[in-house]
Amino acid sequence: MRIACPFCGERENGEFTYLGDAKPQRPAMVALEVAGGAAGEAEAFYDYVYLRDNVAGEMDEYWYHGGGCRSWLRLTRNTATHEITSVEAAPGTGASSSPASTAGTIS
Amino acid sequence: MADFTWTATSPLQHATRPRRHGAAVQQSGIVLSEVLDFSLVLILARRGQWSATAKAAKEFFGAEAPAKPLAVRGKTTTLFWSGADQFYALFPRVPAAQPLDGMREPFAAKASLSDQSDGRCLIQISGPKVRAMLAKLSSLDLDGSVFPVGAAAATSIDHSGVNLWRDTDAADGSPVYNVLVFTSFADSIWHTILDSSAEYGVEVVRPHALDEKPSS
Ligand SMILES: [Zn+2]
Repeated sequence: MRIACPFCGERENGEFTYLGDAKPQRPAMVALEVAGGAAGEAEAFYDYVYLRDNVAGEMDEYWYHGGGCRSWLRLTRNTATHEITSVEAAPGTGASSSPASTAGTIS
Repeated sequence: MADFTWTATSPLQHATRPRRHGAAVQQSGIVLSEVLDFSLVLILARRGQWSATAKAAKEFFGAEAPAKPLAVRGKTTTLFWSGADQFYALFPRVPAAQPLDGMREPFAAKASLSDQSDGRCLIQISGPKVRAMLAKLSSLDLDGSVFPVGAAAATSIDHSGVNLWRDTDAADGSPVYNVLVFTSFADSIWHTILDSSAEYGVEVVRPHALDEKPSS
């Protein structure tokens, strides 16, 4: 399997590290409130941290080009065939002015 | 407390003794040397500051900051790409000066600077068989049509991150590749290169400065 890094070009997969599913979004709540928060908040956080789908087919994933340009990438890959249909830089890569947007912020 | 003057030595100092290795051939297929006495600064543009960083680099080094995998030569400095909105500046070491001298002000609030001079070794590889040898170590396509003089890459050799770029060709027309490696991996990678080169015959030539051509 090869991944076409948007910065480096096509590279062998040994240069990349797999993080996993790019879909889970951090629940929009203040971390300190989790313990005594509203019903369901702790469960939502538990899901975010631990629960993953076991997809057989197309999946959005984060990969890290650690053996190359050290950028995080977001790609769409078919877990059954390894076909990659899209690769893009993760939000906030390099000096791009929009920092990574996550649903929750700790204030 | 008594002052102590540290003497800088390369981890390759024993490995790079000039000699021939491997196959006994008329003309060595590989010419190998270490480049010494350089300063190396990593320049990372801050958020939204790429254009300002590129402008500062152009004024300070007289070279275009590489926005993609390229190595660009200024008068005394080579700027080579190392990742999104970041690049290295490589220039001859000035005795008694710090690499960041004079750089802090022009890049203030635009980029973060990191002195890596003592953290890397620079290995220069040439010779008529250099591409065949590098094909054993690197997954890059180094064919001249896709990796011409001035092309650069951040990649891995033997599971270690390296920066690799193509220099101007040697006098015999062979391509010249610079491989920048972590000092702690330098000895290991040097010997991996030597082993991969043995079948072509290797000539290790004496270490030389950045602006000096390797010679036996
Ligand atoms: Zn990359």
